[in-house]
Amino acid sequence: MARDTEVLVLGGGSTGCGIARDLATRGLEVTLVERGTLTDGTTGRMHGLLHSGGRYAVSDQASATECIEENETLREIAGHCVEETGGLFVKRPEDSDDYFRAKLEGCRDCGIPARVRSGREAREIEPYLAEDVERAIEVPDGAVDPFRLCVANAVDAEAHGARIETHAEVIDLLREGDDVYGVEVRHGAGPGKRSDAAAGTTEEITAEYVVNATGAWAGQIGSMADLEIEVRPSKGVMTIMNVRQVDTVINRCRPKGDADIIVPHETTAILGTTDEEVADPDDYPEEQWEVEAMIDTLSELVPILAESRTIRSFWGVRPLYEPPGTGTQDPTDITRDFFLLDHADRDGVAGMSSIVGGKFTTYRAMAEEIADHVCEQLGVTASCSTADEPLPGSENLARLEAGMDDFGLRSPVARRSKQRLGSRANEVLATDEPNPVICQCEGVTRAEVRDAIEGSGADLNAVRIRTRASMGNCQGGFCCQNMAHELHPEYDEATVRAALDELVAERWKGQRHALWGEQLSQAMLNYALHATTMNRDRDPADATGDVEFAAFDGGGTRGVESRGDD
Amino acid sequence: MSDAERPTDDSGDEFEPIEVFPEAGETDLRPGADDCYKCSTCDTECPVAEVDDEFPGPKFQGPEQWRLKRQDDHDIDESVMKCSNCMRCDSACPSDVPLSQMHNTARAEYVEENMSKLSREYWRNRMLANYRRLAPLGAMFPRTANFVTGLSATRWLGEKLLGIAGERELPEFATETFREWWTARGGPRVENPDKRIAYFHGCYSNYNTPEVAKALVRVYEHFGYEIMVPEQDCSGTPMFANGMLEDARRAAETNVRELAAAIDDGADIVASCSSCSMSLRQEYPELFDFEDTETVAANTWDAVEYLRVHEDLEAELEGTAVGEEFDDFAYHAPCHARNQGLDGQAVELLGLIDGVEAHDVGDSCSGISGTYGWKEENYENSMAIGAEMFDHMDDADATAGLTECPTCSMQMEHGTGYEITHTLEVLAAALVGDGADATGANATGARAE
Repeated sequence: MARDTEVLVLGGGSTGCGIARDLATRGLEVTLVERGTLTDGTTGRMHGLLHSGGRYAVSDQASATECIEENETLREIAGHCVEETGGLFVKRPEDSDDYFRAKLEGCRDCGIPARVRSGREAREIEPYLAEDVERAIEVPDGAVDPFRLCVANAVDAEAHGARIETHAEVIDLLREGDDVYGVEVRHGAGPGKRSDAAAGTTEEITAEYVVNATGAWAGQIGSMADLEIEVRPSKGVMTIMNVRQVDTVINRCRPKGDADIIVPHETTAILGTTDEEVADPDDYPEEQWEVEAMIDTLSELVPILAESRTIRSFWGVRPLYEPPGTGTQDPTDITRDFFLLDHADRDGVAGMSSIVGGKFTTYRAMAEEIADHVCEQLGVTASCSTADEPLPGSENLARLEAGMDDFGLRSPVARRSKQRLGSRANEVLATDEPNPVICQCEGVTRAEVRDAIEGSGADLNAVRIRTRASMGNCQGGFCCQNMAHELHPEYDEATVRAALDELVAERWKGQRHALWGEQLSQAMLNYALHATTMNRDRDPADATGDVEFAAFDGGGTRGVESRGDD
Repeated sequence: MSDAERPTDDSGDEFEPIEVFPEAGETDLRPGADDCYKCSTCDTECPVAEVDDEFPGPKFQGPEQWRLKRQDDHDIDESVMKCSNCMRCDSACPSDVPLSQMHNTARAEYVEENMSKLSREYWRNRMLANYRRLAPLGAMFPRTANFVTGLSATRWLGEKLLGIAGERELPEFATETFREWWTARGGPRVENPDKRIAYFHGCYSNYNTPEVAKALVRVYEHFGYEIMVPEQDCSGTPMFANGMLEDARRAAETNVRELAAAIDDGADIVASCSSCSMSLRQEYPELFDFEDTETVAANTWDAVEYLRVHEDLEAELEGTAVGEEFDDFAYHAPCHARNQGLDGQAVELLGLIDGVEAHDVGDSCSGISGTYGWKEENYENSMAIGAEMFDHMDDADATAGLTECPTCSMQMEHGTGYEITHTLEVLAAALVGDGADATGANATGARAE
């Protein structure tokens, strides 16, 4: 029976995109489906730490070793997604000396370069560290942009013939007897879809083999074919600071606990995190106290955090898994290792494997192992090249950095743009047209926004994750509409308006947990600007409230009611 | 508890900038960007952005540029050199973003890391910033110096060789500096351990307009103050504006040490130049951390402001007259006086004196902003910024100008041809008369005892 594709990958996170790239570069025919935008699930909701392995050097040395190997690989193949910040495990007076020693020895056992720094030396590296930090272990932690990395994998997969279908939600697994042979998806059902197939239409995609890489959602997918997958989703909160208080990853050197890491991420710093099991990865409480407790605890390491501005908070859901019968109570004790569940072996249902557990830093190694497994199932002999071939944007980076071209941009804008685009900088930024800055907070120009639109269509949240536009301190207050403007005239007014509404809604969502102090002032200003210029104070419950914008074009007519009935 | 009442908001949002690289003296101002919510009020108040399309404005120069920076980045945008350091953005900001501190620090970093130390621009700026070092030469041979600097050939050379605007006339040097006069006079004529001020005269009233400094002496002695004239260096204002932070640091170190000693002797510090007082009060504590920097800042006053607070200056002026010496003035409040909240006092005080009126010419910037308007490449923009002030001076019912800033007075004179007077000179004429003391060291002074 003819199938639409050889391999169908479910899930557009780091694992799914990594698998798609791996298989596509091995010459297999691949289709990837994702219900939202790439990274919408867990990948886009992580703290952006590129582990050195130091974090697992005591508790899980196998993971630690794998982390340092992949850390070094990603610096090579994904240089434009990685910032080599270095990391510190810092010890406060109340933290255990024994654990500090164990951490140091563990790092050395696992081949993680580690060096002890005195408290004074640590404060020279990071001046905002607390005065009473006694000692620190310096390790090669890094910061990674999960959006950029994921997109680069997807782009490379596409370049090797893969079909990447976002906003395509799996609504059924196609199973005949003991054989899974594909899925049914609904197009455009998820948020953000503004291109390709008409919203609401469904499509059956058949495949020789299906890889379920949906992480925390793997159980839900499995149940569509009566397969039981015991994922134990665990939520964690992360808070984004307006500026970088640190330029190095700061870890607390103690066995385990909430709120023990600060990761410099692009223009911001991300505080993390907590670990609490939830029943449904799509519906769980987001509590303000989680944010407050985290800021309080991390202020013990970096006191200035207590009075610093946060721009938003978000929660992510880890796809934790443990084999049936392990019975771990505390989610922090559940292994971070990944599991490849071949449903033929496990459940007697052929044609599909599920991948659960695992962590972002080792996504590539996981993808390689799964791709090997898929090739074996399909009888394909092809070797993996993803550890050696740079991702699009990371080719010849050394040469790029030596280049002096600023493309007529202000220095810091040019620097940040080139860092985001990597080896694609010249292709995107070299333009004869005016290239104004669209997002001032993050220094994103029109050329970069247009390039992202070319890559992702009229989905402004996809444009956002590609460019960082609207991710700065005004959280889109000043630039959302300018981003939307770039969609016109290629996309019609209704499409542009819907895309803008989705972006604005997404930006507000994360700010709900940051509404005090300066971010509250920011939000008030954004609200006032949007209310007075875009009628955003209209009653959202008034579904008929289409504003007749044309009525304003003739100039003001006294007495005309321009607002909704709020 | 509502979100708005969260305890994190109670800290007053003060952050202590930290030296990231202690050896290089660099300061991390990124946390200052937390206060910016991008309202752009600073951009609307920036006089340079108004006339110069190439200048991105204070919001970019300050919070945006700092926020985009990483610890090891050294590529400050060159446009920071177009900032005239008028500091109006500081007053404009509704959210206390430390804008001028960010600009001063970024500019210093730009000059240190990105500007060629061999370039004409660097040396021209260094010269302009270090006027204090050149002025003594001019003061030594004032007549020769005035003759030479007045030559059109000199101006032509200045523009071609150094990039100093040829349209500008260099200020004349006084034949006797204030300090020479003060020494010859025998120092203070009032001794009063209970009322003591230390006078920060700055460079200009020492080398170029000692009549302003002498007016201050007469006014303060009239009120029974013992005046100290401590050793002093340039206030640093032109150095900040040119990114010569190391030069400024050296000067500030001397000033803080000497002024702190005067404070120990029971004196308060007064300055007659609004940029000097601004520098001691705001820029020193923002940029330096010598011992006593904060003490000096907290005890420094504008000379007129000090009398308004400590004496009943209004009552004293009531009913005084200045006779034929002065007529009505077109008064321009310098930006740096405005920043200190001093923009209304001259008009109010002169209103009390018979026969003289000060007409406020509005709140625009004069456009010269210290060394900014002296640079060939800024001349046109400087005059475009000043146009509003020139127009208003022209419209005002006066044919002379009044201000407290030396370079504003140069710009006012340059744009209108009016003679420009310092407020203290008018107060001295009203309170003490034409003061024979002012004419020379041997005259008998108006003793205040």
